[in-house]
Amino acid sequence: MFVDDLSWRAADGWSAPNASSRDVALVLCFGDREALAPSARFDELRSLYPAAHILGCSTGGQIRGNEIVDDEIVGVALTFAKTTVRVARAPVAHPSRSRQTGIDIGEALAGDDLVGVFVLSEGLGVNGSELVAGLSGAVGSAIPVTGGLAGDGEHFHETIVLADGPAESGIVGAVGFYGAHVRFVSATAGGWAPFGPRRAITRSDGNVLHELDGKPALDLYARYLGEEDIAGLPGTALHFPLLVRDRENLDREVVRTVLAIDHDERTMTFAGDMPVGWTAQLMRGSFDRLAASAGRAARGTSPGQAEAPTGDRIALLVSCIGRRLLMGEHIVDEVEAAGRALAPDVRRLGYYSNGEIGPHEITGKPELHNQSIIVTTVHEA
Amino acid sequence: MHKLLQRQLERCAGPDGQLDTEALFALVSTAYEQSERDRRRTDRSIGLMVEELDELNRNLEAQVDHRTLALRQREAELERQNIRFDAALNNMSQSLVMYDRDARLVVFNRRTIEMFGFLAGDLKPGMHISEVLAARSRRGTLNGDPHELAESILARVSAGQTYRSTQELPDGRAVALLVSPTREGGWVTTHEDVTERVAAERKIAHMARHDALTGLPNRVLLLDRLDEAISAASEESRVALLFIDLDNFKAINDTLGHQSGDELLIGVSRRLRQCTRDSDIVARLGGDEFVIVQRGVACRDETEQLALRVGGIAREPLQINGHAISSELSIGIAFAPSDGTDASMLLKNADIALYRAKADGRGLHRFLETGMGTRLKARRDVELSLRTALEHGEFELNYQPIVSIEDGTVSAFEALLRWNRPGRGRIGPAEFVPLAEEIGLIVPIGGWVLQTACRAAARWPGHVNVAVNLSPIQLRQPGFVNAVSAALQEAGLEPHRLHLEITESVLLENNDITLQALHALRRLGVWICMDDFGTGYSSLSYLRSFPFDKIKIDRSFIHNADSGDEAVAILSAMAGLAKTLRITTIAEGVETDAQRTLVTSLGCTEIQGFIYSPGLPEDGVDDWLRRRTGRLAIAS
Repeated sequence: MFVDDLSWRAADGWSAPNASSRDVALVLCFGDREALAPSARFDELRSLYPAAHILGCSTGGQIRGNEIVDDEIVGVALTFAKTTVRVARAPVAHPSRSRQTGIDIGEALAGDDLVGVFVLSEGLGVNGSELVAGLSGAVGSAIPVTGGLAGDGEHFHETIVLADGPAESGIVGAVGFYGAHVRFVSATAGGWAPFGPRRAITRSDGNVLHELDGKPALDLYARYLGEEDIAGLPGTALHFPLLVRDRENLDREVVRTVLAIDHDERTMTFAGDMPVGWTAQLMRGSFDRLAASAGRAARGTSPGQAEAPTGDRIALLVSCIGRRLLMGEHIVDEVEAAGRALAPDVRRLGYYSNGEIGPHEITGKPELHNQSIIVTTVHEA
Repeated sequence: MHKLLQRQLERCAGPDGQLDTEALFALVSTAYEQSERDRRRTDRSIGLMVEELDELNRNLEAQVDHRTLALRQREAELERQNIRFDAALNNMSQSLVMYDRDARLVVFNRRTIEMFGFLAGDLKPGMHISEVLAARSRRGTLNGDPHELAESILARVSAGQTYRSTQELPDGRAVALLVSPTREGGWVTTHEDVTERVAAERKIAHMARHDALTGLPNRVLLLDRLDEAISAASEESRVALLFIDLDNFKAINDTLGHQSGDELLIGVSRRLRQCTRDSDIVARLGGDEFVIVQRGVACRDETEQLALRVGGIAREPLQINGHAISSELSIGIAFAPSDGTDASMLLKNADIALYRAKADGRGLHRFLETGMGTRLKARRDVELSLRTALEHGEFELNYQPIVSIEDGTVSAFEALLRWNRPGRGRIGPAEFVPLAEEIGLIVPIGGWVLQTACRAAARWPGHVNVAVNLSPIQLRQPGFVNAVSAALQEAGLEPHRLHLEITESVLLENNDITLQALHALRRLGVWICMDDFGTGYSSLSYLRSFPFDKIKIDRSFIHNADSGDEAVAILSAMAGLAKTLRITTIAEGVETDAQRTLVTSLGCTEIQGFIYSPGLPEDGVDDWLRRRTGRLAIAS
C-alpha cells in the first residue's frame, strides 16, 4: 500500500502528488464544511484521481500528523497492491430511518473477503446507534466497523458527506476493504471520568432525552453550565457528556453527547439512544486524562502491527469535537500522545466528529461513541 | 519550558526565526483564558456536585430516620400483636402445638398443658415430637406407642396432608385432632376435647337404632341385624322370625291409660329378653308388635318351644298400677332361608302367619303355611274396596218392619246395611262390619247409616220409628252423642223415633265412657234397645246396669222354640222379666204362624221377621205401608 498526502487551501487549491495515477484506489478527505461543500471540490478530485473512490466529510477540525488544522482540506490517496475497496452510499432521510440506512450500506458492502468498513455519516439528522446496529448486523458482527459522524465545528447547523459524488447533507458513505492482505485494526478510548450522583432516565424518546429523575434534562445542564456557558448551548453541553448505563447489565455503558437542544420542550437530543430505565451520570474530562486516552486507543491497534507491513501504513483518527472544545489549545496533546504510541512511520490523518464509530472498549462490538477517540490502522501485509 | 508554550513559540516563529510576539501573546492569552474557564467550570461543577450530594445525603438521612421510626412503630405493633396472640393462644379452648420442619416443638398453649396433664418442665421448645408424645405417655394421656404415633404423624405431614382424627385418651376422654402443615414445612396440631360431643353422637346413633320406651332394637337395627343373620343362614342352621302381637294391648291402653300400656310394653319386652339367648334378637317394631329373631335353628321344634315359652311367660300376670295383667301373645313364625331370603320378605311372611294366628283365636302361634298368603291377600282386597265403598256410594239401607202384636200396626223399621260390592253382588254386614271395625272404617260408615236412616224415617208416618244398629266403637267415639243429635236435627226427626240397638258386648267392656254416652243419648230422648238379648253370659245383669227401653230377643230362641220346652221356658222367662220391668220386647226372626202364636202367647210386644216382610228397599217402604194399612182396614 502507498499513501500519498494531499491538501487543499483556498489560496493555493489542491496539492496532490502522484495525481492522475489510475492506481490510486481510494481518496479520503476531511475539511471545513464551507471548503468542502462546493461541487467543484469533488469534480477537482475526480479529475485528479479518475479511477479512485472518493470519500470524505465535513468536520470540527482536521488531524494531520501532530497538527490540527481548520483552514485546509486534508486527505490521503491510497494505492493498494493486493487489496480492493468498494464504496457504498445511502440517504438517511430521517433519524428514524437510520437502522435501515445502515442495513442498506451493510448489504451493499457485505462479502466473503470483507475485512473492515470505514463509514462517514451525516452528523446531525441521524441516530448513530441505530445506523451502526443496522450496518454491523448486515456485514456480520465479526467485521470491524469504524468511522464517525460528520462534524460542523461547534455550530451544529449542517454537516455534509462526499461519497463518490459532490458533498451533500443527509447521506451516509462507507468504504469496505477486501482481501486477505489488508489489515484493519481499531481501538476506542474515552478518558472521561463520571462524577456526581447517578440519575435515572425517566423519560425519553429514542435519542431525545426528556427527563432525568423526573425533571427536565435541560434544567440540569443549565445549572451545571452556569451563565457563562448557557449561551453556548448546545456546543457547551459537550463539556458534560453523560455516562449511560444499563441498570441490568453494567457492562453496557456508553458515553453520550449532546447534538441539539429544544428550549421550549426542555429536551436534549443525543447522538445515540437514551433508554428509559438506564442511568445517566455526568462526566467531565481533564486535559491530561483525555490526552492519555488517545495514546491508549493508538496502542490498542498494536496487534495489527505484529507483521511487517508491505508498503505504507496509515492511522485514521476520529476524535470528538467535545474533546477539542474542552481542551482548547491543549488539544494537540491528544494528537501527540496518539503519535507517540504508534510506530514513527505510521501516517496519521483524521478529524473531529459529532460521534465516533468503533469497537466497544469491553465487548469489542461496533458502536457509536461520544467524547471518544477511535484509532483505526490500515495496511497491507 | 511548558510544552504548550514551546509549541506556541514554534507556531509563532517565522521562517526566518523571527518571533511574531503579537501572535504569541494572543495564543498565550487564549491558553490562560481556557485554563481559567476550565478551572471555573471545574469549581462550579464540584460545588454543584457537593450541593447535590449533600442534598442526596440529607434525603437519605431523612429516609433512614423515617424508616427507623416506621421500624420502631412496627416493632411496637409486633409486640402488641404478640401480646394479643399470646392472650388468644392461651385462652383457646383447644390445645395448640406447633412444630417446625425438623419436627421440633416451637409453640404450645396453656390448654395443652391442662389437657394432657403435663408437669412443669415436660414441654420445652426444641423438643422432638416423639419426646413430646413420650411425655404424654408418661402422664398417662396417650394410648399407644409414642414413637409409632410420631412416625405416622410425620409421614402424613411430609405428604403435605391436613388430616383429622379422634383419639381416645386412657381416661376415656375423646380428643379431636387436626394436623395442618405450615408453609415452612412444619405443622400445627390442635386438640379439642370432644368427649361430650362423642357421647351425644353415640347416644343419637343409639336412639336412631333403638326403641326409646323399651330400649330394644327398633325396626332399623332389626332390619340390619336380620339381613346379617339371613346371609349367614342355611338349611341346617336356619333363622326363625317370630312376629309377636299383644292381643289385649288396645283394651289395656283404652281402659287403664297409656302409661299402663307403656308399662305393659316394658314388662313384656323384659320377659321376651328373658326367654331368649344372647345370640337372638328381640326388637320392637312399634305399637304392640315385637319380633324375636332366633338364630342357628336346627329344627322347627326349637322354635316351637321358644314360642310356647314366650306365650307362657307372657300369660303370667304383671303388676301394673295395682292391676294384675296377663297378656296373650299371638305369634307368627317364618324361617329363613325357606320362607324368605331377605329381611323384608321374612317379616312379611311372619306377618301373614301372625294374621293367621290372630284369626284362629287369642294366645296362639302359627307357622307360615302355603295358602296363608292367599287368604291374607283376599282380606287385603276386601279392605281396599271397603275403604272406597262409602265415597263410591256402594252402601244401601234396607228396612225390615217391626209390627206391634197388640194392634198389628207397624211400630218401626230396622235399618239393615248392605254393601253392593262391584263384581261381588250384595254383601251382608256380618261379612264386612268386623273388618270395618278393625280398620276404623265403622265410624264414617255408621255415621252415614245414622244420617240416611233418620232422613228416611222423617218421611214416614209419625208413629213409625226407625231402629239403627250401633257398633261399640261408635259409642266410644268422642262427640258421638252430638253426631246423633245433629243427624236428628238435620233430618227433622223427633228423637224418640230413633231407636239405637246395641249388643251386650258394648256393656261387656264396662266402660264408663260407653255408659255415659248411653245415658246422654237417652236424655236426648233417643230410645236404647238391647239387641241379640240372651246370647251373652249375663244378659240379665246388664238389664240392671242400664235402663233399656226395649229388648230384642235373639232369633236363636225363636228358632229353638220349635224343638223343645226348655227353649220355650227361657223365652217365657225373658218375656216375663221384660214385662215386669215394663220393657218392650221384640221377638226377632219370626217366620211361621206357630212362632207368631207362641211369642204372642208368651207376652212379647212386637214381632220382626219374614212372616211380615224381609228388608225392603227405601222406595218400597211407602208401598208396603199402604198395603199393610189397607189390609189392617179390611181385617178390622
